[in-house]
Amino acid sequence: MEKIGLYLGCNIPLKAPDIEQSFRKVFPALGIEPVDLQGASCCPAWGTAPSFDLNTWCALSSRNLTIAEAQGVDIMTGCNSCFGVLSEAKHFMEDKDRRKAVNQSLAAINREYRGTADVYHVAHVLHRKVGAEKIREKLKYSLDALKIAVQTGCHALWPTDVYKVTENNPYYPTMLRELCEATGATVPHYSRLEGCCGMGGMRSTDAEKSLKLFREKLLSIKEETDADMIVTTCSSCFLQFDMSQPILKERGLIDFDPIPAFYYTQLLALAMGFNPGQVAAISQIDRGPIIGEIQSEKRLIKEVA
Amino acid sequence: MAKVGVYVCHCGSNIAGVIDVAAVRDFAETLPDVVVARKDLFMCSDSGQEMVKQDIRDGLVDRVVVAACTPRTHEPIFRAAIEKAGLNKYLFEMANIRDQDSWVHAHDHEGATEKAKKIVASAVAKARNLEPLEDKFVPVTDAALVIGGGIGGISAALELANMGHKTYLVEKRPSIGGVMAQLDKTFPTNDCSACILTPMMVEAYNHPNIETLTYSEVDDVSGYIGNFTVKIRQKQTYVDWSRCTGCGDCASKCPSKTPDEFNMGLSDRRAAYIMFPQAVPKKAVVDIEHCLHCAGREIGTLPKINEKTGRPILAPCERACPAEAINRSVAYDPAGAIKEVEVGSIIVATGYQVMDKGWFKEMAPDSPNVITALQLERIISATGPTEGKLLRPSDKEKPHTITFVSCMGSRDEHFHTYCSRFCCMYMIKQARLIKEKYPDITINMHFIDVRSAGKGYDEYYTGARKMGINIFKGKVGGLEMLPDDRLRVLAYDMEAATGIEYESDLVVLATAVELPQDATALAQKLGLQFCGSNFFRELHPKLGPVETATEGLFLAGCCQGPKDIPDTVAQAKGAAAAAAVPLAQGKVRIEPIISEVHAETCSGCGICIPLCPYHAISITTYADRPRAQIEMSACKGCGVCTSACPSGAIVLHGYDESQIFAQIEALTA
Amino acid sequence: MRIIQDKINEAVSTIMAYGGHGIRNCVQCGACSAVCPGVRAGFPLLCRNLIRHLLNGELEEIIEDASSWGCQACNRCTEVCPQGVRPQEVVFAFRRYQANQLAFSTSSVTSQMNLFETGHAVYTDPTEARKKVGLPEKTPTSAFDDQAKQEIQTLINNSPMGELGLF
Repeated sequence: MEKIGLYLGCNIPLKAPDIEQSFRKVFPALGIEPVDLQGASCCPAWGTAPSFDLNTWCALSSRNLTIAEAQGVDIMTGCNSCFGVLSEAKHFMEDKDRRKAVNQSLAAINREYRGTADVYHVAHVLHRKVGAEKIREKLKYSLDALKIAVQTGCHALWPTDVYKVTENNPYYPTMLRELCEATGATVPHYSRLEGCCGMGGMRSTDAEKSLKLFREKLLSIKEETDADMIVTTCSSCFLQFDMSQPILKERGLIDFDPIPAFYYTQLLALAMGFNPGQVAAISQIDRGPIIGEIQSEKRLIKEVA
Repeated sequence: MAKVGVYVCHCGSNIAGVIDVAAVRDFAETLPDVVVARKDLFMCSDSGQEMVKQDIRDGLVDRVVVAACTPRTHEPIFRAAIEKAGLNKYLFEMANIRDQDSWVHAHDHEGATEKAKKIVASAVAKARNLEPLEDKFVPVTDAALVIGGGIGGISAALELANMGHKTYLVEKRPSIGGVMAQLDKTFPTNDCSACILTPMMVEAYNHPNIETLTYSEVDDVSGYIGNFTVKIRQKQTYVDWSRCTGCGDCASKCPSKTPDEFNMGLSDRRAAYIMFPQAVPKKAVVDIEHCLHCAGREIGTLPKINEKTGRPILAPCERACPAEAINRSVAYDPAGAIKEVEVGSIIVATGYQVMDKGWFKEMAPDSPNVITALQLERIISATGPTEGKLLRPSDKEKPHTITFVSCMGSRDEHFHTYCSRFCCMYMIKQARLIKEKYPDITINMHFIDVRSAGKGYDEYYTGARKMGINIFKGKVGGLEMLPDDRLRVLAYDMEAATGIEYESDLVVLATAVELPQDATALAQKLGLQFCGSNFFRELHPKLGPVETATEGLFLAGCCQGPKDIPDTVAQAKGAAAAAAVPLAQGKVRIEPIISEVHAETCSGCGICIPLCPYHAISITTYADRPRAQIEMSACKGCGVCTSACPSGAIVLHGYDESQIFAQIEALTA
Repeated sequence: MRIIQDKINEAVSTIMAYGGHGIRNCVQCGACSAVCPGVRAGFPLLCRNLIRHLLNGELEEIIEDASSWGCQACNRCTEVCPQGVRPQEVVFAFRRYQANQLAFSTSSVTSQMNLFETGHAVYTDPTEARKKVGLPEKTPTSAFDDQAKQEIQTLINNSPMGELGLF
């Protein structure tokens, strides 16, 4: 089985371990063995070292990358920010002078960055290495006639010159749509598909501005698709969709019930028949009804002998 | 003993501001064979030249060194001067102490002065060894070739023809007219493009001195200024043009459909088609690539016979043609025919293309309502797909809001860093034409800045503001696709420093002007070079705007760089005047600074032959043995053969061994 | 506003030293700001406008403006920029200038402390949640790995961040 370093980041293992559990269930079933990167830290998040000192950023990112290098595996991240930060750091480390300076810092902890581990996103591994066909084969439930609005998230899109895998057209991404369609669901286009959800630095700096941006995006989803659920491959976007819809509702800024949100592998795990209590257990929005619908008897895919 | 005169130029402060001119003059005086050294504020001025001439007339000097600027611009002036004074003009050497010294070492006066001394010493060393050379002349074919039948090519051809020179006008499409024929109206006067162009097309086509070859391409060019041999491939039309009356009946019956290039893909044309209503010549062609070969009958085969009537079952196009110009039984050569012509000069006026919208991923290229400006031109043109009605492509409805986006692919390091020069103006024209006709339509134009340099242009732009057209400074960053094929524009208002967001029905992209793909192949055939912007390179950006590095080969219009119609016509007429010079003179001068083979020393190894960039060297038999021979009219004096010859058998006149070694010696002394 | 060349030079060289190498490529076309989520959410000094102020020689004048901290680091500006400015890197360079002058919010300090102490910028005790979903209570990350924490602290202490006096 192909091995890949499972880079967890912060939000997934600490706040949303059901997403982590969905990785651990789904990937082996699809022929990919996630291996732990023991001692990996924060990527580091944009608001920390990247906001203070470029080389410290690169040193902390490189430390994480060296853990994968030592195990001879590439990295797979579940969080878009981690994907962006690590990819950017790798890009900066192509500069010879910087690499030299950062490796001097790393020498103090007996590490050396060599650049041998590539950085992938969970969505890339599923789309490129696993593929829609294999996903279809492993489904227990069909999501036929369920409508999904997808959210790829910024850090998997731009800038294309630093990422290992990119969309054919980053402004109109299709990878996550195709992954969702593999479950049988319908994935209509909506105009603010590529738009930012407002999570991240903006959320902590000025929550009101963040909510304003989020609301625009949400209305585009509601009005143009009337989706049954929102599916994302970014853990930050997931948190925004799950946490901020109830706030908007409470303030009367939206007149519809919050749309349940899933991380893609949670949805996939449910469709593959895994226990929702393990793979989709933590959310602000009540996902019970939609999970019940997904794992309902009528959706069971009959075994073809 | 040579008597060398050295003349050091101040070039105002260009040289004297950095180099100690007096010190250079003093130094020159000490060099061997230098009999006089002088200096002047401007050696190229009348008084400067007169100083040299007087020394020659006085018998004081018989070799002249001018230490000044570049021979590229000034060598001809000084050569003419010393010739006038009675000296062979090749007994002259220029020391470039400006471009190669004072300009590049402006911060090191002392070093620059020392370098100037070396450059002068080297020039003097060469001058001592100079030999007189004689110009040679070859006769000229009094005919010209113009490649490209757009407004540039037509203007150039008419100019040459009116001067009395036989002119071949070659156009790759079935009709002349170029991009201008696709335009609705023209800025800044709003006159109808076809109304001013069609008469010129007709005039060119009917001109007794012009032979128009459409649906034709240049296949091969050989020869040199005054004596080019050009092979022109006349592509196969599959229609007998001597019979075709341009009625268009074949097109109306042809069942095959393919995107119409003339309408920029917004409508279909047939495989049998006439390019556009005002086509000149108005002749049909059968585009065999898209021909359906009706009833499974390949071209060049006889039709089946109807058993009942006993008559042949003809293809729809054949049957439709009232002039019997289409006969699909004829075994046409798919390669067409080659016509060979002899000409004395060639003008390249092959024009441009605009970038396809597909390059701009952020601009919703998959939306039918995102179009290029040239597509909009077809939409608002009476001969276009909507017969001039402004309807958006997706649903053929009238748009309520139209967005214009400038600088798509221009001024952008991902594509082209240059400004495409006329987009600002044609966008304003399109906006004005629409606003005039439909005042209720909202028009939002987004520019990085408005470039309206030209007579009457800025007034045209400010007029657009007065008409109520909304103008925003700031580049559009993206488009989002809404339901109903509308588009959300993500823009920015630089002046208000605020983001702009609105919904639009039709978005027009001013995509960059660039050379078409096939320009590279043509460049190879003609020996044309490309400039940094990937257009054809002119000889000099200011002083040789229509000439090229190849004598007898001239440029006109957008193939040399983006330009609007007035500038294209001006350049075309300039190119025609320059191209007419050798034709009018009837002979061309061959510079004697070319290479020559000493047949006695040559071993006939042939190493030089593939090295010559001008194909000037061939093998001939000399005293029963193979020897290299250089065609003097083709040689440009580059010296590649001279330096490569293992036997030292090739001399480059004006740069012979003694001269070059003397220079090296002086420089390394 | 007065234009003073020395101030412009200082602002540009400061930004370049903090990683905003492309600032002088900017032709002020505004494409970055047209797609910037921060600009659209209403932060005044991001992308095009921030670069304009910096190119006018302003540094201290705008040091307290929080816009740069509203940057999502989404890099859409970098993707659309026609001149290779990489505007996000200029925004982050300005942020680094602000941070090194201690012009940042208190919420920002919390993440730095978390990073230093646990290796995670965002830290909450995961024990309960992990147990609930059937995972080991401890993550395989730095939070429960003393050597990892030591390494991170060494890297931060040895860096300019260590001199800020936060840890």
